[in-house]
Amino acid sequence: MILRTRNENGILIAEILLKEASLAQADQLKEEMIILIDSEPKNLLVDFTMVEYVDSSFLGAMVSSLKYAVARHTDISVINLEKDIYDLFTLIRLDKVFKIYADKAEATAELNKK
Amino acid sequence: MPSSHKILLVDDNLLVLEMMSKALDREGFRCMKADSAGQAMELLHKDTPDIILSDYDMPEVNGFVFRQQLMDNPDFRNIPFMFLTSMNNTDLMLEGINMEAIDYIIKDVPIPVIVSKITNVLNTIREQHQRSISELSLAAVALHLDSVPQQLPKVKGFKVDFWHRPFQGYPGGDFIDFIKIDERYTFIVLGDVMGKKWGAWFFSFGFLSYVRAAVRLCLYEGDLSTKSILQKINTVVYHDPVVSEVLSTLTLILVDSENSQVSYSGAGDLPLLYYNHQEGKTSHIQSAGLLLGLREEGDYDEYILKMNNDDQLFAITDGMTDFEAAGRKRSDYFSFEQGIARFLGKPDTFTAIKTSDFLAQKSREQIDDCSLIFLQKAD
Repeated sequence: MILRTRNENGILIAEILLKEASLAQADQLKEEMIILIDSEPKNLLVDFTMVEYVDSSFLGAMVSSLKYAVARHTDISVINLEKDIYDLFTLIRLDKVFKIYADKAEATAELNKK
Repeated sequence: MPSSHKILLVDDNLLVLEMMSKALDREGFRCMKADSAGQAMELLHKDTPDIILSDYDMPEVNGFVFRQQLMDNPDFRNIPFMFLTSMNNTDLMLEGINMEAIDYIIKDVPIPVIVSKITNVLNTIREQHQRSISELSLAAVALHLDSVPQQLPKVKGFKVDFWHRPFQGYPGGDFIDFIKIDERYTFIVLGDVMGKKWGAWFFSFGFLSYVRAAVRLCLYEGDLSTKSILQKINTVVYHDPVVSEVLSTLTLILVDSENSQVSYSGAGDLPLLYYNHQEGKTSHIQSAGLLLGLREEGDYDEYILKMNNDDQLFAITDGMTDFEAAGRKRSDYFSFEQGIARFLGKPDTFTAIKTSDFLAQKSREQIDDCSLIFLQKAD
């Protein structure tokens, strides 16, 4: 397992348990994300607290999980991105497809408004 | 010994584990430690070591059972494996060798001997890999399968060049193409299929074919807008189940020699770096477009840039911004910008960059395919 999940106030939070998130774990991530999305949560928060580095293959798996989620009406947001990773998300416009929040508190506040 | 080699050490004796890992760390290896086969399995799901060194004699799951578990798992089967033992028992050794363990290490042997044994194994494996790669690469060359051009295009009024290093020498997911339409128009194509090595390499041809087809279609329709071309490619990729699960970036630049201008559209690519010679300033040109195949509407836009003499433009893939320092991988676009800053605006900027410490270091620290395209307005 590379995701540790918990449910807080109706929001499913999946914490990535990796420092380096790369090609070697990309397929595993997608498998685990699909299982989570199949449980049809309205919101899924992916927590990057532990992650120091993401390569494009892992991001690819994140994005293809997102495609899977969109078809099943699950919103995926990401939280706790380190600066380098946040920059990468915005540089390649992934901020347009993932909602990015600073942390769980901000995400919960925003998501509860809806 | 390259410092990046990772060893997974498995031993229930914590003292041995600590001593071995300290000694191997000192020799420049990076050690992952597990005090049981179970813990080793957990670590393996998170990271892939270059080699596994495991004790035989462990409670619960012993070394043989652990080895069998690895062999039963296609993801772990091919990681080189060595038994670490305090016993010198020929029967046990024979049993281990039958389990495709590469060798034995007797714990009492001095550390330098252990290190040279590991180094020899890793070197032999690397040499075998390189032989296989060069054979496959030769086959690819014979079939004219190139995902990067063999020649630079001649573009009137511009200098065009590129630098490309596939990750670990494998052909990978980066692709480059120059499509010369006529004396006036040339397209520059740079893409990065998300993934590495052969899988990504295979798909890079799919994407390259789509790019070429879309360029020709738009040309036929009299529409040379990079935005229209990107939108066409995206539509096909989005609807094609074979490639829609594979994501790719794309940088598409059309050089117009007659008007000394370039038009640019991008799909999930890193910003272009533009050096304005007259002002001596650099800036980023960021497109709005999403990765190919991500959404049916990819939000593509088109940026037109008039280039004056000695203005320079760089397009890169993310391998150029990724690096490893102090045992930690990082991704930093600005480090690339800083790395080449001192070469900008020079008479022979690209030659200087190609022979620079910056690219030499990039090659050493490389953790992904690296591609860099250079365009300069010349007289």
